[in-house]
Amino acid sequence: MASQRRKRGESRVIRYIILGSWAVFCIAPVLWFLSIGFRPRTEIITPQPIYWPTFSLDAWHMIWSDWPMASYLRNSVLAIIGSVIIDLVLAIPAAYALSRYRFRGREDIGFYILSTRMMAPAIVAIPIFFLFRNMGLLDTIWALMLIYAAVNLSIVTWIIRSYMMDIPKELEDAARTDGASDLRILWEIIIPAVLPGIITAAVIAAIFAINEFLFTLLIASTKNAYTMSVALANFTGGSDGLIYNAIALVAFLAFVPVFIVVVAIQKHLSRGLTMGAVKG
Amino acid sequence: MTELSPNLSGAAKAAPAIRRRSKRMRAAFPYLLLTPAVLYLLMITLYPGVYAIYQSFFLVRFNSWTYIGFQNYIDLWNDREFWAALWNTLVIGSVALTLQCLLALTLAYHAYRDPWIKGWRIIFLVPMLFMPSAVAFMFKLAFMDARVVADLLMRVGVIENNIGWASSTFLSRMILIVADVWQWTPFLFIIFVAALQSQDEEVEEAARLDGASWFKIFWNISLPLMRPVIAVALVLRGIDITTMFANVFIITKGGPGGATETISYFIYRTGFKTFNFGYASAASVVMLILTVIIAQLVVKRAFHSGRE
Repeated sequence: MASQRRKRGESRVIRYIILGSWAVFCIAPVLWFLSIGFRPRTEIITPQPIYWPTFSLDAWHMIWSDWPMASYLRNSVLAIIGSVIIDLVLAIPAAYALSRYRFRGREDIGFYILSTRMMAPAIVAIPIFFLFRNMGLLDTIWALMLIYAAVNLSIVTWIIRSYMMDIPKELEDAARTDGASDLRILWEIIIPAVLPGIITAAVIAAIFAINEFLFTLLIASTKNAYTMSVALANFTGGSDGLIYNAIALVAFLAFVPVFIVVVAIQKHLSRGLTMGAVKG
Repeated sequence: MTELSPNLSGAAKAAPAIRRRSKRMRAAFPYLLLTPAVLYLLMITLYPGVYAIYQSFFLVRFNSWTYIGFQNYIDLWNDREFWAALWNTLVIGSVALTLQCLLALTLAYHAYRDPWIKGWRIIFLVPMLFMPSAVAFMFKLAFMDARVVADLLMRVGVIENNIGWASSTFLSRMILIVADVWQWTPFLFIIFVAALQSQDEEVEEAARLDGASWFKIFWNISLPLMRPVIAVALVLRGIDITTMFANVFIITKGGPGGATETISYFIYRTGFKTFNFGYASAASVVMLILTVIIAQLVVKRAFHSGRE
């Protein structure tokens, strides 16, 4: 009994060592990068790395005065909101059909939607580039909106579909015998019931849209369409190379809202990330 | 009488007609609901696919297109850089994926029933909440520009002199792998924890009362139950790793000597750096075919077993 207890105590110590060292591995680079954001440029790339820098708000002033940071921010926010709205408008009816109806080709259509998630951006990059060029949409947030929505549509549809499948059939049947139409059932019963799923899908789509890099790189060429993700590569000072304190600061500016919404939907996160395959 | 009868018969006919139409309507309804989403997705899959196939038969020089048949594909077959890109993608991807899967399993195994860890779990998620481009710059700075990693290793005494990360095939690949493992192990971790938590605690309890060790329980009971979840998670992660672009673009630019050029970067470079669009499209088509094959073989199965 005593030895068993000691054994469990030992395994507890090992457990905390393993988890603790991983936590340090996760957090230490982040703290160091945060310190980059609040130090003067002269203390970033030095012959000997500086671990205790002087505190400075240089980067903060720089991003607003030397670069159109307000435009980057606006582009990111508008493109993300627009793309999430497009996704929800398209995905909710699609998910409703895939989850609540039996019809021929259901599995195949569902799998087709899922399979677009596997399309490497690089495969479609060139045709999409020419498509937007011909439409005159290069370097606009409209193009970003459309492409972010397209990239995330499969995820959003599958997440919402997964939540809709959990709703008991009786709920729907009761409303149907009362004579409610299918669209009214969707609007008044299904959507309120899967609201957590819809929010989860929207949050995950928004995060992926913030992160998107390749399409944005091809579409954006001026401050008209640069988002934060791609604008990072623009924080250069000509011959001085990259201006890392500005990069770090913007990285954290984007991180904070993402962190807050993820904490809020933490319970649904694993289900959302696996597109509904795991019910956490 | 004569005036009434058409009305009557009309009304009598109308009822079944409406019912018939609404029946057809009902059958079409789910398709109608799906149409907008499917059309939208065809726009970014079918249209670009057809466009890329068409363009791959041309030599594209700005606005002049010259038909050259299969020449782009023949060139591709003989292009050592293309094969190298496929190989690099495979090497970097498989090492990174294996590492993060093993790490995430170990961490999830230790974390999932620990109430104290539960409150702090968000710490483990922090890396994946940064923009990938930001993480790429962070690692570029840490390894290359500020040389912090080399400095720390020298202080600990692991190495004697500074390291030329960028000039070594092994080390530059390793930076990409470390960056990916750092950022995305949390993705697998959170999924594995959720899967472990949703398992029946009583089975574990029974096995424990029979004297089975924690590890035995994990290996013989929990892990087999997790197989479908692991399959789905690895498929999703595998897709993202094989399409890795931002890290290559920012950290290594494909160097040294193409040792870290992934297939995505190869397509980007031939298309948008050397403007050889026909050739890049041919590479896209090859990648598209590989994707479709893998999708049919692996992904369909993973998501079918993972669903319930």
